[in-house]
Parts: sequence; structure tokens; C-alpha cells
Amino acid sequence: MALLALQILLRRLLVAAPIVLCVSALVFGVLRLLPADPVSMSLPPGATEQEYERVKRELGFDRPVPVQYAIWLGDFFAGNLGNSIHFRRPVAELVVTALPNTLELVFVGLVLGVVAGVGGGLLMFALRGRPAEHAADLTATTLMSIPEFLWALLLILGLGVAVPLLPFVGRLAPDIALPPAITGFLILDGLLAGRMPAVGSALLHLVLPALALAIGLAPLIMRVLRSSLLEVILDDYVTQARLRGVPERTILLRHALRNAALPTVSLIGVQAGFMFGGTVLVEVIFGYPGLGNLMVDAVRNHDLPVIQAVALVYCLLVLGINALVDVLYLVINPKLRSA
Amino acid sequence: MTSGIDRRRLLASGGGMAALLGLGVPAAALAQAAGQLTMSYPADVPTWDPNARSLAAVQPLYKMIFDQPLDQAPDMSVRPALITAWRQLDDRGLSLQLDFRDDVLFHDGSRMTAADFRFTFFERPRAPVPEGGRRLDTAFLWRRIRDIEVVSPTRAVMHFTEPMPSAVAWLHFLCSYMVPKAYLERVGLDEFQRRPVGTGPYRLVEYQQGSRMVMEAFDGYWGGKPAIPRVTVDIVRDPTARVASVEARRAHVAIDVPVREAVRLGTVRGLVSRIDPTADIMLLQITRNGGFAQDQVRLAAHHAINKEAISRAFFQGHARPISVPAARGTPGYPEDFTFPFSEERAVSLLREVGHGPDRPVRITFFTTNGVFPNDFDMARAIGQMWRRVGIEADIQTIELSTYQERLRANTLPEATMFNWGNAAGDPEMYGGYLLDPRAIFSAFKAEDLRDRVAALLVEPDQARRFAGYRDLHRHAAEKGYTIPLLQMVRTVVHQANVEFVKYDNGWVLPQTWSFRSA
Repeated sequence: MALLALQILLRRLLVAAPIVLCVSALVFGVLRLLPADPVSMSLPPGATEQEYERVKRELGFDRPVPVQYAIWLGDFFAGNLGNSIHFRRPVAELVVTALPNTLELVFVGLVLGVVAGVGGGLLMFALRGRPAEHAADLTATTLMSIPEFLWALLLILGLGVAVPLLPFVGRLAPDIALPPAITGFLILDGLLAGRMPAVGSALLHLVLPALALAIGLAPLIMRVLRSSLLEVILDDYVTQARLRGVPERTILLRHALRNAALPTVSLIGVQAGFMFGGTVLVEVIFGYPGLGNLMVDAVRNHDLPVIQAVALVYCLLVLGINALVDVLYLVINPKLRSA
Repeated sequence: MTSGIDRRRLLASGGGMAALLGLGVPAAALAQAAGQLTMSYPADVPTWDPNARSLAAVQPLYKMIFDQPLDQAPDMSVRPALITAWRQLDDRGLSLQLDFRDDVLFHDGSRMTAADFRFTFFERPRAPVPEGGRRLDTAFLWRRIRDIEVVSPTRAVMHFTEPMPSAVAWLHFLCSYMVPKAYLERVGLDEFQRRPVGTGPYRLVEYQQGSRMVMEAFDGYWGGKPAIPRVTVDIVRDPTARVASVEARRAHVAIDVPVREAVRLGTVRGLVSRIDPTADIMLLQITRNGGFAQDQVRLAAHHAINKEAISRAFFQGHARPISVPAARGTPGYPEDFTFPFSEERAVSLLREVGHGPDRPVRITFFTTNGVFPNDFDMARAIGQMWRRVGIEADIQTIELSTYQERLRANTLPEATMFNWGNAAGDPEMYGGYLLDPRAIFSAFKAEDLRDRVAALLVEPDQARRFAGYRDLHRHAAEKGYTIPLLQMVRTVVHQANVEFVKYDNGWVLPQTWSFRSA
């Protein structure tokens, strides 16, 4: 199975390469078409025309767009994402600093969403045919009707202000120092450094932003899982298991759930990609130093190198998640291994 | 509601405490450490090089780590800081002698001397720019310096290519922060930006871009160690989150909360709300383009704006209407001049050029949305006021970066909502830049003001200079070269135990605050 998983990953990699090229070209081209002048943003007040031309030449903006793209692509493969116009720092440095924060946020959001979604789906299935099922369905519909950024604000007002249970700004409490940056992942760095107060504080600060993301995911999982279970529970092997005297709970958790999980796993893969997009507003609202915050800053300041890089990183993350979902399919469904 | 929150908070805290103790979070970490202040601030520094970018919003952050050679008192009057005394050495204003303190230490323990001043204001701005790099903003701001002569460790003389009567004001204005020559040259700019060293009251001990900065009081500060030993600045761009942070007592101070929220929070027990006008102004940057080509139309546009109503509607009456592009109470404001609100006058002016409510003149009106308080809402209100008299404005939202690009390219539309910072209060930083047709900041390019402004930029006599700017500002308003609106307001909400010091120019400086003892 390991070999099969590797084959799948390699296949995904081959498919990903042209996708990444297309996305990068699209983003690059669209940004160049915008009526934005990043050269102006690079100049101090009172810059002369000669200075404007010098900076334009040095940043490569005097060349045709396809040439600019080729240069940028070459630099990209050499690990050079250029310099941020606004921050005057290497883009790679900014991305490497922000990316782990976003990954931590999305991971926790996914875990919360999946746990709540699977649990809720099983509950809804257990309540099938009863009035409570409709109430649960209505709740799920209501939850997913509200966008993440609105949930972010509601959570702050509810669990941050009205009942000040959880922190909602930044990553750590004011009086807790950052642990030394070893991996870039704050929680992991805290654990490696033995700084448990920082770990605890970081986890607490993750709860509300992760919940804001998870609340959009969980109801979707609930409904898809419940529908899948309703189909699967009518299959012959389930009937046979009942006839053999297998307890209903065992039938559900050991047999039916595994088969019903496949569509749910696909959904999680797709939604995880969307979740990265959802982090943009959530991070701004919570003052969370991730890719979303970086992207918003870049868009405000017409910082084209940063916009390009972050867009590409999002693309790579979505492709990576899709590849992982394919491997997970393999683990869950033995039929795929022999196929 | 207050007692309910206290009970719930107690219960919630108990439950939360138990969970957190399980995670190894000591109880003491949950409460704010004694003497530590947390401030919820709306903007982050683009770089820790304080000479690089002249962004008004982050100057208070720079002032915590770095010192300017001169300082301003809360009433905006100039006072000594690193410089103890200054005098012009000649009548033409080409040489300015400065005496420095001899007890100023940088955060790395090295002593500040006049050589650091020369490095900061003369050598750095003229250093070669690396490829792809950006010249420091101080290169432009201090372009009139011919040389800085270091007479002794505590004395320097600034020599100018032409008179710079605003030099003293610039020594406490944007970008003018002292940096250490030896340290910067030794570690290089990249490391300096990671570990900035200044002479300011606080040292930067931790910085997470876009998230927070932690500063600790500097023991060796020449002005005495600040009363608050540790300050955490949370970068919170969302105004709702800033409101929530101070309401939840997560932050001691929240800056620039929406005015309505500031009013509401002022009624909450334990919180104090301040809504004060500052020296920054809101105005319409106008051009002669399109529908604003005629003087009558521009003047009509100005007469049609009811600034008092805008102040009442969006700033609870705290924003002061202005008739010229300067703040009231500053030397460049002609207190005896008023540009009246008059719809009749506006209609009459438009009729002179064949326009009116039945035959409106059409213009484009750019505005930002969320860059400064109520910018978009004010633009819409002004659009409505204009429609009543016969000006039809197509309101379009832009980013600030778009404004700067279009300004440089001279392609701004008829009107653009804009705000202009001038913490120094010097009139040159108002009309001297906004109205000078040669200046990058000027949108209107009134050629008849060229010689007038040029003369004021080199006028060494301060009284004559100030009088000249008052006349200039009045003239610009009367001719329709500018449409000033209101003074900006700064809203600050803080916990009642914080002794806050208000600055008329809007600075928020934790180094001047303290905690009230119970």
C-alpha cells in the first residue's frame, strides 16, 4: 500500500506542475493588467523621473510581461520570490514566517470541524425519523448560512466580550514570551522548548479563530455523512450483519461508517482548500499573523511580489491537500488498492 | 448587565482556570502582569528603520523605541529632547547650531554623540541605494542640508543649501529619529531591522509582524524610566476587535475605535472614552480636471458642504470644521476667516456657468473606505449635498496606494477624499506641501501660487512666515484650489486606572502614561 500511495503522490505531482504554472501565469498576468503602479509605491516622495526609471528597470517592470514572468519563474525555481515592495524584505522570509501560523490555524479548524461534523452526522443519523432530526437539520443549515468572518465577530462578541472566556487577539497572552523559533510552528516550538505556558496560551488563542472556520465546515460534513449513512445502512452486508446478531452500534461504527466516509472525505478535501481562503478575513479580524493577514496587507499596498507568492502558496496547499485526500481514500477503501 | 457579567465571568474564569491549569498555564499568566500595559493599535510598522518611511500612523510606535532630536509637549509646543538648545548662526537661516545632551544612551549602552546626528541626517540619506532598494524618505525630507558639521560630541551645525525655516519643526516630525551609527554600520540594515536600537524610553524585546510588539522600559533612558515597565502593542486592524479587546479588558487602551462605539464605551463602568480633534485634517484633494475646470464649480462644491452637519452625523460633533487646509489653533490658521456653508451661494455660482440641479455638472469622486474614520460615509454625504445644488458625483472607492499612483501620474479625478497628517503643526507641512504646484503632494497645481509658496519655503522670519501661510491658505480657499473639511479626531478608550496623557496632535505615547494606584 505504501508503494501505491507513493505512486498516487507522484502522479499528483506530475499533474500539479502544469496546474501551478497555469495559476502562476494567470495571477501574474492579471496583476500586471491591473491599473496599479508598484514602482510608485517603491519610491519616496520627491523622487525624480530618473529615479522612477531606475527603480522600474531594477524591478524589471520595463520589460514585456512575458519576459517578466519568465524571469520571475526562473527566480521562483531558484527559491527567490523577490522582495516585498512594502516591507522591503525578501518575500520568502515573509511567507515562511506566516505560513506555519496559517497551517496551525487550518489544522485546528479542520480537526474541530471534522470532529463536530462526524459527531453531528452520527447524531443526526441516530435521530433519524424523530422530530429532533429536523431541529438538528435546521441548526446545521443555520450554522452554514453564516460566513466565517461573521462567525468570527459573533464569537468575539459572545465568547470574548459578553462572557470573556477566551482570548481573541493575536497568538499569545501579552505576558507570555514567544518561544524560540525552531520549526516556525508556535505550538510545536513551545513543546520542543518546554514552554508549556506558551503552548497553553497559543492553544487558547487558536480556539476562537479555528471555531470560526470550523463552524462553516461541520454542518456540511454532518449532512453529507448522514445522507451517506442513510444509503449505506440499506446495503445487504448490513442486513446480514444484523442477522448475525452484530450490535447496531458495531454495525454503524465498524462497517457502515467506513463506507459512508468516502464522500465525506472528498468533501473535507474540497472544503479544506476553501478553508485556506476563509483564513484571510478571519486572520485580519483576530489579528492573527498568518498568510491571510499578509495577503490583505499586500493587496492594500499593491505589493505585487507578495500577492503573487501568497497566491501560489495557496495553490500549492490546495493541491497538496487533494493529494493527501487521494491517499486517504486508499487507506479507507481496500477496493481501490487492488484496482 | 455589569453584575451578570461579573458572575458569569467568575464562573467562566473558574472553569477556564481549571482547564488551563491542566495545560500547565500558571494562574498568574491569566491575569495581566502587574505594571504591564496592553494597547490595541490599528497599524503596524512597515519596517523598524525609522528613517525609511514617512507614515504618520506609526510614528507613536517609533517614538517608543527612538527619540527625535526635539520633542513636542501635549499642547504641541516645541521642547528640548536630545537637543537642549538651538540657534541660527546667520540672518539668512543657512546655518543652524544644535547643542546635544551628553547623557543619552542607546539601548546597546553606547553614548549618543553629534556624530550619530550627522550619520542619521546627512550620511544615511546620501548613502548609495542598493539595487532594487528604496531611498530613505529622509533623503527627500532633508534634501536642503549641504553638510552637518560636528563641532564637538555635543554640538553640531547644520548647513543648508538654501534656508530651511521649518528645520526646527522637522526635527520633531516624520522620520527624524536618531539611529546609532556604530551599531548600524556594524550589524547592517537587515539585522538592525530585526533588532532595532534607539535612544527611546522602551526597548523592543519581541516583534511578530502583523500581530504584536512587546517593549520593555529602558533603564538608562535620559528622560527617566517610564512608569509603565512593559508595553504590549497588539496590532488589531479590525475596529470591532479593537472595541472588543478593551471592552473585555484584554487591552488597557484601544486606539481609533469607531466614534459611536467610543461614545457607548464611555458609559461602561471602568472605561474612559476620549474623542478629541487632532492637528491632522480631512480634505478633498481637487484638480482642475473635467467638471472642476471652472472656478465657480469648485467654489460651489465647497459652499455646498455642510461641515457642521458632517461633524454631528459622523463624529458626534467632535470634528472641528475648517475653512482652510490647516488645523485650528496652529500658526497657519487664519482665525478671522470662515468659508461659509451656503447652498444658495453654491447654486448661484453654478448658474453663472450654466449648471444647476436640473443640469448638473458631472464629476468623479474618489474615496477610500476604511483608511480613516468615516471616509466613505462622508464621501456619500458630500455626494448628496452636491446633488442638491447641481453637482452629480460618481463616487468610486480606491485604495490609498491607487491614490498615490494617480497623484504621481497626475491622473486624479476632480475630487478625492483624503486625510493629511501634520503632528508638527507647522504651516509649511500644510499649505507649503499641499498647495505648492511643484510638490508631489499637491493635486491642484495652481501656478499662481508657485512663487508665493517658494518665498515662504525660505522665509527665515517666523512671524512673517506664519502670516504668509495664513494668507496663502485663505487665498487658496477663496480661489477654490482646495476644499478643506474637518480636523481629524482621535478616539481612545482606556481603562479607568490608566492615567492617559492627551496630545493635541493625536500622539498616543505609553511612555507618558501610568497606572493610577487603587
